[in-house]
Amino acid sequence: MSEKSDTTPDHDVQILAGEYVLGTLSAAQRAEVQERLNHDPALRRAVDGWEARLFALTEMAEPLPPSSRLWHRIERSLDELSPAPRIAVRTSRNKPARWWESLNVWRTLAGLGLAASVILGTSLLTQSPPQTMPSYLVVLVTPQDKAPGWVIQANAAREIQLIPLSETEVPEDKALQFWTKADDWQGPVSLGLVKPGEVFRVPLDKLPPLQPNQLFELTLEKSTGSPINKPTGPIQFIGRAVKVI
Amino acid sequence: MSAPQTPFDYEAALHACARGERHALQRLYEQESPRLLGVVQRIVVDRALAEDIVHDAFIKIWNAAASFDVSRGTARGWMFTVARHLALNSVRNSAREVAMDDDNDEDSHAQATLEGWQDVTDAFDWRVNPGRIDFCLDQLDPVRRNCVFYAYVDGYSHQQIAQKLGAPLGTVKAWIKRSLVALRECIG
Repeated sequence: MSEKSDTTPDHDVQILAGEYVLGTLSAAQRAEVQERLNHDPALRRAVDGWEARLFALTEMAEPLPPSSRLWHRIERSLDELSPAPRIAVRTSRNKPARWWESLNVWRTLAGLGLAASVILGTSLLTQSPPQTMPSYLVVLVTPQDKAPGWVIQANAAREIQLIPLSETEVPEDKALQFWTKADDWQGPVSLGLVKPGEVFRVPLDKLPPLQPNQLFELTLEKSTGSPINKPTGPIQFIGRAVKVI
Repeated sequence: MSAPQTPFDYEAALHACARGERHALQRLYEQESPRLLGVVQRIVVDRALAEDIVHDAFIKIWNAAASFDVSRGTARGWMFTVARHLALNSVRNSAREVAMDDDNDEDSHAQATLEGWQDVTDAFDWRVNPGRIDFCLDQLDPVRRNCVFYAYVDGYSHQQIAQKLGAPLGTVKAWIKRSLVALRECIG
């Protein structure tokens, strides 16, 4: 067996990653590896390599049918979560609640430190819309830590404005593509490529009217946009429409 | 007449989860929960705890679906990674093992000889799928192969493997390191 690579840093990283995936590390060592995985690309690559290398061994465990209650437990837990990646709540099934009466909305928004700007935004939105046309508000947050990045205003003129709250960094050969999907649509529809840090306006003439809970997202795509006209890259920001009454 | 089975699209299901489509998570659950439960139960042993962990795994899969990155591995592999590491965290975090790392690594290399261990036979029926890993596992001595399986499949710590085999802790550690080096060289 080769001895030559035994003391290189790569060797150490490979052994640490291998032992982590194999499962032999202690609780403290596991916690340390899991923390390092957030910011150590070499360790992450090594761990990914070991996960792939050893994955076939999962077949050595006999499958076991879960109890019939398990899926219902999972569903209940999803109900209790403020369902990430959603920021808005669905309209109550029993009676329509005003959105500002929903504790979840306020918990979420307050948690994001956004309540003040939302109230400001809402007062702008609600100044003059005609009585018959609902307005919508969407806060787009990062999927991981729910940090707010963009706000969408949709008003009676049937134009939506995507407004940056912070600078979004996009690699040179990539672009941010803007998508939307209502619950009953087949798939997301592209609203175009977005320049980081700039307000982006979309006339909604060609789309059906906005719906409560409609999904909006920004994904990272090739600089010319997704080649298949469906999101292919990782989601950068995501949120759902809340009706403003 | 049965229609030809189209392969389950794990990646598409994860993307749908990221968009908040709960039926996509349900499809993943129906597709993989028995295998995930099997893997988790082998590690944590207790059935109720195993179901708790599979529950937590699906919540984590739902919450983290948007951050799944296909350039880092397959969607199906990622689901198992999530569940397996939750199970491993659980058994390690509840372990009462205090530091018994008395053997240091210099010793363990010296102790890594297979002398006296050549007669060990396979403790696992391991030829489960044709592929590179089977060929490479076959290149290992059975006792080292057993170490790999006790760790990966049963979630044993170094100490538990040493107890199981009746081998010194340092020897087991060295065997595992050697096995990792050999597997990486062989599988690539």
